[in-house]
Amino acid sequence: MPLAWRNLVANKPRLFRSAAGIGFAVLLMLMQLGFEQAFFDSSLNVIRGLDGDILIQSVHKYQFATRDPFPRTILDAAAKLPGIASVRPLYADWFDFFWKNPFDGKVFLVRAFGFDPDRPVFSFPKVDENRKKLKDADTVLIDRQARRFLGMDRNPAEAELNGTKVRVAGNFTLGPDFQSDGTVIMSDRTFTSLLRGPGGNPSEVDLGVIKVSPGVDATAVGEALRNALPNTVAVFTKPQLIEFERKFQADVSSAGPIFAMGTIVGFVVGMLISYQVTYTDLSDQLPQYATLKAIGYRAGYLLRVVLEQAGFNALVGWVPAWVLSIVLYYVIGRLALLPLRMSAYLTLTSLGLTLGMCLISAVLAVKRVIQADPAEVF
Amino acid sequence: MKVPLAWRILTYDKRRTALALIGIFMAILLVFVELGFFYAVPRGGLLLYDNMRFDLLLVSDQYEYQAQPGVFPLDRLDRLRSSAEVQQATPIYFGYAKWKGGEGGVWPDVFVIGSDPASHAFIPDSIDQQLGVLAKSDTLLVDSATRPIFGALDAGRVVEIGDRNMTIGGQYVLGTGFMGLGVVLVSVPNFAGLFEDRGASAVNLGAIVLKPGVNPDRAAADLRQASGPGTRIFTRKELDAHETAYWTTRTSVGIIFGSGLLISFVVGIMIVYQIVSTQVGRQLPQFATLKAIGYPDRSLVTTVGAMSLLIVIAGFIPALAAALGLYAIIRDQTLLPVTMSETRLFAVFGAALGMALVSALLSVGGLRRADPADVF
Repeated sequence: MPLAWRNLVANKPRLFRSAAGIGFAVLLMLMQLGFEQAFFDSSLNVIRGLDGDILIQSVHKYQFATRDPFPRTILDAAAKLPGIASVRPLYADWFDFFWKNPFDGKVFLVRAFGFDPDRPVFSFPKVDENRKKLKDADTVLIDRQARRFLGMDRNPAEAELNGTKVRVAGNFTLGPDFQSDGTVIMSDRTFTSLLRGPGGNPSEVDLGVIKVSPGVDATAVGEALRNALPNTVAVFTKPQLIEFERKFQADVSSAGPIFAMGTIVGFVVGMLISYQVTYTDLSDQLPQYATLKAIGYRAGYLLRVVLEQAGFNALVGWVPAWVLSIVLYYVIGRLALLPLRMSAYLTLTSLGLTLGMCLISAVLAVKRVIQADPAEVF
Repeated sequence: MKVPLAWRILTYDKRRTALALIGIFMAILLVFVELGFFYAVPRGGLLLYDNMRFDLLLVSDQYEYQAQPGVFPLDRLDRLRSSAEVQQATPIYFGYAKWKGGEGGVWPDVFVIGSDPASHAFIPDSIDQQLGVLAKSDTLLVDSATRPIFGALDAGRVVEIGDRNMTIGGQYVLGTGFMGLGVVLVSVPNFAGLFEDRGASAVNLGAIVLKPGVNPDRAAADLRQASGPGTRIFTRKELDAHETAYWTTRTSVGIIFGSGLLISFVVGIMIVYQIVSTQVGRQLPQFATLKAIGYPDRSLVTTVGAMSLLIVIAGFIPALAAALGLYAIIRDQTLLPVTMSETRLFAVFGAALGMALVSALLSVGGLRRADPADVF
């Protein structure tokens, strides 16, 4: 058993205090990092759910959550290119669909998608399962993870959308993002009939969802499409569109800096706590270290013991914080309808930050041990 | 003798005391940062209202929150204008339009606010000084916090908005809050021109200014009768509560920053406890000696209490200064109205003192048991 470990467990109440101190700092970082990931995931999940390799949208479209239609004929032109298996239109709107909660009669803005039920664009399993039902006029699928005040989670059979009675044929699971509280999916016909005025023009679509033939490179097809199509549309591979959206959210939203600030503060707090812990440990054990030095152990060995001990301290704080954060992610995710979940990225980032803060503070505190003069200590 | 003794203990090992101070400083700073965020969100949602002149606000009964207010017919507002209590009733219009001149050819959505320039509905001086510009046809004022994605915001630039060419007449300083990435202000005729399908008869907000001396609560009750069905009247206080409730309960921001705040409190308590108990623990032999030579427990407890209070006070002052600096940086970076309020300042100070005292009392438990014979 290494000396560092025995040092660590020698004083149980102190171990508990330091684990709790470091653990809460880690928890703070994990929550901030988790929120940041959830923020981006919530706005990217809908793009991830599109069943396509290449996506075409108006060149003017600056973020996914805005309507910017382009002529459907452009998609017909795209379909003629080699290497393309299918081209399917998606109608989408974020500003003009008003859902009336069937339980309390209140009206809310929702996000709406429309597609041809014979040419599905979403890979959400429940949407695919129920898509044929959408062929009936004024039939919709609703998001059971939508914000509760919409009443979509209570399985209504009927509701009103833009003043028209619609039948609810099923539901799916997507969840809100920071712009939309809920989502309604319907056929392209229902979509255009519910949108009055120029918005309901079926010859204008918001997104072209393209699948390439098996074995064909999507990037190359994307390049060919870019050359063949008019410059009023922009062509993205799916990862490119996800990146485009992520960059937009990072540039304009405050989420990045807010959560980064929270994480940094957590890191500094953790560093202080761990410095305090290490410094106190070292002060208490100074005579022992001095003895080790006196009987011939080198400074390098002592340094290693101190760093090992800091590493153990980090782990003892990190493990319970990691477990607790999974619980908190689940609870807060349910409450806030956020896609908060533990990921390899969060695990590794938080572990790295924890080790970093504990080791840095140990290096800062260790000077005392190295300089300890056995003769002075006693 | 307790306070001077506490002082001397603290100044004896300066390095350790400095460490404790930094710890307390960070704990308090952390709480301030999370508090700032927590309150900034509803404040951001109230930004426009905070910058408008009205005592009562007439809205549709479909009103959700500021950016989703619903519409009501203009004649509802006209009805109230004749009331003896009302000095002025101004219709305010909201709409989203495509700003067809963004960076790199994109068309970001812009939030358009329409109002009669002569009504002085908005408080900022920068708007009052440009009312003449605002009244010109096809001219707009743009909020200075409009994001770079909208391109240059220089006066004189012509931008196509919706299907209309509009000239930027100048900038005003108010902030975009949660209205969108860009906000512009136009006169009512210009608004009706931008949103032709809608015209000027469907109103989003009615800003009502009461005659001097009229009680807003009483006036609200009277006007509710007169305004007719399909509408709702808010006093300032009710509106504040409604918007705050919207942002803290209807969106996920309340839970996000609320949980951040909660954890920061726990971390703060941990730090203060850790520091105070270490300080006390280290002085155990000295305290035991004092006990042995006859000092009563009570006097030692007071010394420990004084010690922790001194540390917290000394840590609080720089933390407050740093928090104010950080708030300025956050305001700049996120455009969120993160501000300090007196209530929060004193609440955090009180909480910090409380935490310190509780930790002192907890760690003094060991002290009470300290048997001089054991310690040595």
